[in-house]
Amino acid sequence: MASTDQNHKLRIDFCGMKFNSPLVLLSGCVGFGEEYTRVAGFSNRDVGAVCLKGTTGSARLGNPAHRVYETPMGMLNAIGLQNPGVDRVVDGILPTLDFDETRFIANVSGSTIEEYIAVTRRFDDSPIDAIEINISCPNVKEGGVAFGNDPDMSARVVAACRAVTRKPLITKLSPNQTDIAENARRCIEAGTDGFAVINTLMGMAVDIETRTPVIGNNQGGLSGPAIKPVALLKVHQVHQVCKAHGIPIIGQGGVTTAEDALEFLIAGASAVGVGTALFYDPLVCPKINQGILAYLHRHGLDQVGQLTGSLSLNQSPVRHTPACGG
Amino acid sequence: MTNPATKPHRGTIHLEEAAILTHQAYPGDQYVLRVQAPACAAKALPGSFAHLQCDPLLAMRRPLSIMRVDPQQGWVEFLYKAVGEGTRLLARRQPGETLSLLGPIGVPFQVHPERPRPLLLGGGVGIPPMVFLADSLRADTAWQPFVVMGSEVPFPFQARPSQFLVPGLPEGVIAAMPLLEDWGIPSRLASLQGYPGVFEGYVTDLARAWLQGLTDAERTEVEVFSCGPHPMLEAVAHLAREFDLPCQVSLEEFMACAVGGCAGCTVEIQTPDGPAMKRVCVDGPVFDAQQVFR
Repeated sequence: MASTDQNHKLRIDFCGMKFNSPLVLLSGCVGFGEEYTRVAGFSNRDVGAVCLKGTTGSARLGNPAHRVYETPMGMLNAIGLQNPGVDRVVDGILPTLDFDETRFIANVSGSTIEEYIAVTRRFDDSPIDAIEINISCPNVKEGGVAFGNDPDMSARVVAACRAVTRKPLITKLSPNQTDIAENARRCIEAGTDGFAVINTLMGMAVDIETRTPVIGNNQGGLSGPAIKPVALLKVHQVHQVCKAHGIPIIGQGGVTTAEDALEFLIAGASAVGVGTALFYDPLVCPKINQGILAYLHRHGLDQVGQLTGSLSLNQSPVRHTPACGG
Repeated sequence: MTNPATKPHRGTIHLEEAAILTHQAYPGDQYVLRVQAPACAAKALPGSFAHLQCDPLLAMRRPLSIMRVDPQQGWVEFLYKAVGEGTRLLARRQPGETLSLLGPIGVPFQVHPERPRPLLLGGGVGIPPMVFLADSLRADTAWQPFVVMGSEVPFPFQARPSQFLVPGLPEGVIAAMPLLEDWGIPSRLASLQGYPGVFEGYVTDLARAWLQGLTDAERTEVEVFSCGPHPMLEAVAHLAREFDLPCQVSLEEFMACAVGGCAGCTVEIQTPDGPAMKRVCVDGPVFDAQQVFR
């Protein structure tokens, strides 16, 4: 990280892990942790943690093209959990990562509860710092969001993973469900240590010439600035459940600037995920860090953690119309 | 601590605020864009591309293949066609403005001295990397390249009659790309639009005529390089197989990160171990044609 004597203000404790910055690079955006280091000036040290690509029990080829498509202020993706399988990740990739640079978080997915258990168990016996349970991937036919939209299934997956690991467990929640707060409550009971809020919103784009969906998988997950207001509300709602339990949240969805990150922190996040914004500016993270520091200075705050959940709701947000009408 | 020897990929792609030097419009919504991007210019190789911010209004960059670079003067040149919102917004950008450029990216074309007769086949917006490859071959007279460019809109240059006699070609097919002529590299043009001096047919038909004009010994010295629309590349791969020639093709796909992080641009490749998904951005964009097309 760019050295200033203020950087200590950005440090947070997240599920017992020490993060240098509240920023977290999101799963699916940065491969297995090394890809973005191709860009001169990029450093994993600029972020508190890096979430690795979603990993399943055996290798997956993923979805057919097109997998990505730009939409207004965002993009659709349907990668389909392409990954080499957990054995290759643990044996072949983790040994190449530099754990001095940042914290690395595995992202676990599967078609069955048994697969979630097997992958979690394999990561438990590895140097990985924490495990993110992906019960919200919208782009696979089985598992993923099919589990995440059902609070009972969500809790079963979390409990099953909890039983086989003592590493910090972060549950990635789907916005594509009726009551995210109820789901969060059930996942806390099942033993999650933290949350990532939110995964992508399901969406579609249509090619009007061919009259077919642009995305090979027909539908995809919407990310980018377009989803930020949705994500902020979900973070606020989940924080209402979490705060009594001291459960931290990685708030994510369209974060592009320091101001975006600050909104998420104030709404209840302890850490802030950055994903799609990297595609536009690979060196965006140091800029967000500096912007957060400037805000802390301006508001006389010593630690970024003081912002978490500092939102003051407007009183009586529903105004009653006067009896005489108008 | 990180050992740089074990991570040679680090820091190989540069992010630059590139000033637009020239931006020339051609018929058919085609544009030649030259920007000042010295770090990219210093390292780009034929087949490399750059990922450009076309406009601040867009959430995503656009990948454009590089047509020419000047490492000494530090500029990079692109030829693109305005086909969607991103490239249409790019087309409005003026000299003096800057745009963010991420590059150079990708595995380049590889020429082989044992095959000193490279056959370069470019179609439409696949022309740029063929120009770049030809540029890299002109300094060494050991290379005897032949270039065929195809387009169904007017070519983004004023064609002129070639000074080079090329055996095997149909009579009257004399139109060539002036830049390649100046470099001493024989070229011909193909189109279905009936342009004067231009072969009326597909790039692959003209390439086949050229290959048939070679002796058997000469043909064993040919390697095929191509970039263009998918159906054209498929035809090129079949042509190469027909003549038992090695063939490299440069692919394109919708792209998000362009540095290998998102797996959004993958294509299915046939390997000895079965099918594999490869990223066009950093595993390509250049691939062995026979691994892409069966």
